[in-house]
Amino acid sequence: MTVSLVVVSHSRRLAEGLAELVEQVVQGRVRVAFSGGAEDGRLGTSAADIRRALDEVDGPDGVLVLMDLGSAVMSAEVALEELPEERRRRTRLVDAPVVEGAVAAAVEASLGSELDAVARVAEQARSQPKLGG
Amino acid sequence: MAASTEVTVEHEHGLHLRPAADFVRLAARFQSQIRVSNLTRGGNRQASAKSLLEVTSLGVDRGHRIRIEAEGGDAEEAVVQLRRLVESGFGAG
Repeated sequence: MTVSLVVVSHSRRLAEGLAELVEQVVQGRVRVAFSGGAEDGRLGTSAADIRRALDEVDGPDGVLVLMDLGSAVMSAEVALEELPEERRRRTRLVDAPVVEGAVAAAVEASLGSELDAVARVAEQARSQPKLGG
Repeated sequence: MAASTEVTVEHEHGLHLRPAADFVRLAARFQSQIRVSNLTRGGNRQASAKSLLEVTSLGVDRGHRIRIEAEGGDAEEAVVQLRRLVESGFGAG
């Protein structure tokens, strides 16, 4: 078993694009669900749709949730609060840049690492420089 | 124990995304500390071979030469296998 990921974006198309990117890297080794856009299809986030994504990939090893902008956090928190206690304990919101964090966390999860380790890798993505090779 | 090697990356996308992820997944199987640098871009900066974001930040394109250095009990095996992965064009996975 592995840790799963949920990525929450304000834009459905951004979520779909990120799904494509992450899949390229993990090739089916990690379950990743995406929640993008508000219920009416416009930009935004929806607690109900985040819950759908959480249900899609829930598992005993836990779920890491990444959010694209601060206001997605509120919707994710609402979705989290509505989970049964047992699932809430293995579901973690992580403060990380969404693209770098999702890709790095997905690779770490594909190694079979535990939730704490996967979350740490996502958080570290914030301080990882991209330039200077 | 320490081991190192230099190898040219022939994969058409260099060490980006999927090949980089394959590289990191293989590196993570070893206990040794493993570092990679991109000699074609000067080789001054070392990335952990076990971090996807560090490896992709080396900007390794097709034809670039990289240096793989490992230190630890399984250093030699790590270097051999990582070199083989790069030379194989990152297999099918």
